Amino acid sequence: MTALLRYQAALLLRSQRWLPPVILYATFLAIGVQSGQPILDSLGYSAAALLPVAAWLVRICATNEPPAARSCTGAAAGPGRAHLACVLVALAAATLLGTAATLFVTVISDWTSTDHQTRIAALPAGIAGLLATLACALLGTAVGALTNWPLLRSPGRAVPALLLGALLALVVSGSPAHAAITALVEGSQRATIPVPVLSLAAALLTAAAIALACALTTRRSA
Amino acid sequence: MERELLLRLEGVGRRYGLRGPWVLRGVDLEIAPGALIRVEGANGTGKSTLLRVLAGLDAPTEGRATGRPRTAYVPERFPAALPFTAAEYLTHLGAVHGLDRPAAADAADEWLERFGAAEYARTPMAELSKGSSQKVAVAQALLAEPQLLVLDEAWTGLDADARDELERVVVERTGAGAAVVFVDHDPRRLTGVPDATYAVVGGALDLRMEKVLSRAATDDPVVLVEGQGPYAAQVPDEIAKLATGVEETASGTHRFTVPEARSDALLRALLGARPPWHVVTVGAESPVPAKAEAEAEAEAEVAAELEVESS
Repeated sequence: MTALLRYQAALLLRSQRWLPPVILYATFLAIGVQSGQPILDSLGYSAAALLPVAAWLVRICATNEPPAARSCTGAAAGPGRAHLACVLVALAAATLLGTAATLFVTVISDWTSTDHQTRIAALPAGIAGLLATLACALLGTAVGALTNWPLLRSPGRAVPALLLGALLALVVSGSPAHAAITALVEGSQRATIPVPVLSLAAALLTAAAIALACALTTRRSA
Repeated sequence: MERELLLRLEGVGRRYGLRGPWVLRGVDLEIAPGALIRVEGANGTGKSTLLRVLAGLDAPTEGRATGRPRTAYVPERFPAALPFTAAEYLTHLGAVHGLDRPAAADAADEWLERFGAAEYARTPMAELSKGSSQKVAVAQALLAEPQLLVLDEAWTGLDADARDELERVVVERTGAGAAVVFVDHDPRRLTGVPDATYAVVGGALDLRMEKVLSRAATDDPVVLVEGQGPYAAQVPDEIAKLATGVEETASGTHRFTVPEARSDALLRALLGARPPWHVVTVGAESPVPAKAEAEAEAEAEVAAELEVESS
């Protein structure tokens, strides 16, 4: 598995296809986050923006190998394990990106509530932001795993499904990502730091989505 | 006594989609160590699907596939749109196949050299010609000495030398106990060497030819190799398996009759045996047809006896 992860990570780095989603995320942050804004609001925003980026990263990793090369890797390691490595590398990339953004946002924001009246401790706020970011990275990965090969093969279906899935994951009220972001925003208004326990639910959902995608690798054509 | 099988397909059927037509149906196939199996069939009959099932890339829709040997697969066309040099890609794949990284890098260089592509080791894959990428695909499969080698028209696009080399490698791998399953549209590919030939017809598998013992076709050129073993040594099994005839010419000296396609593998096996054999002479078949015929008859008798024994 280490060899597979290393191979997929090298593929992602070398392909330079990671650049567009990273630039998109940087643009999101540049537009929505400015220094001196209330910390929890900004953390909620940066976490939410990560979700579509994570889904896009999964798409990049899942389509990085041409089908013939994927068959070679699949025969050597098992197609399910090969696909698992793809998705995990994408999740790791999204988590890395989200962690860096959380740190940056925590440092530059104003450590107060929305009305700038109540002081908020930076460290617990940062940890809450990190958990929300993790929930969004996980859920974005789940959306990516469910809207790309082996579930959806043609880009004509995969891309709209990915965009729609990412949007729904952010706005539908049952979604752990939606819950985590709402908790941050409401916490900011009330000057309390929320504990986004729903990250755990996001992890379970994502694990199920990844397991489904990996199980289908030998059922669907390349 | 039943040999341990690498892989067994029982009543395997495969279709794509929930209501798609059956590409394969009712396929039974047993793959034993050392087997060389050829699969034939017209375009679109499901040969590639069968190979994908054998390589573990496709799961059977119905039926069972039991056993999962260490497998390597060579696709027919290997597009090189990967952001690595040939050597980097092969090192990664060698590690995926289970080698440690230094061993993978060494194996990569060795196999590229064997297929005459050593000069492309540091070339980005995107700049490789079609044939050179195919050599990388072939090398990828051979890095870690797989137990099962699945070749889906792997010869396509290779130059003449590389085609011959791949035939030699296939014989070598089967000699070392690996199973090889291949599809190729050239009927002369490995003529007389496969242990069994199957045809995919209407999604079912027909046995076209099977060798009871590994006999070469009588009109194939053969090579005579005389080797001297260590004191009082028996001929090792893996060497005897490659030869079609073994005759003790003097004390400790044996003469092996071997199809030309396998001669290199036999020499390698002799020299690589522990303790190694001494190769005394290598020559073409002696131009005495009567003797050759007598030998062939004697062999056929031996074969018949062995058959009786094994049944």
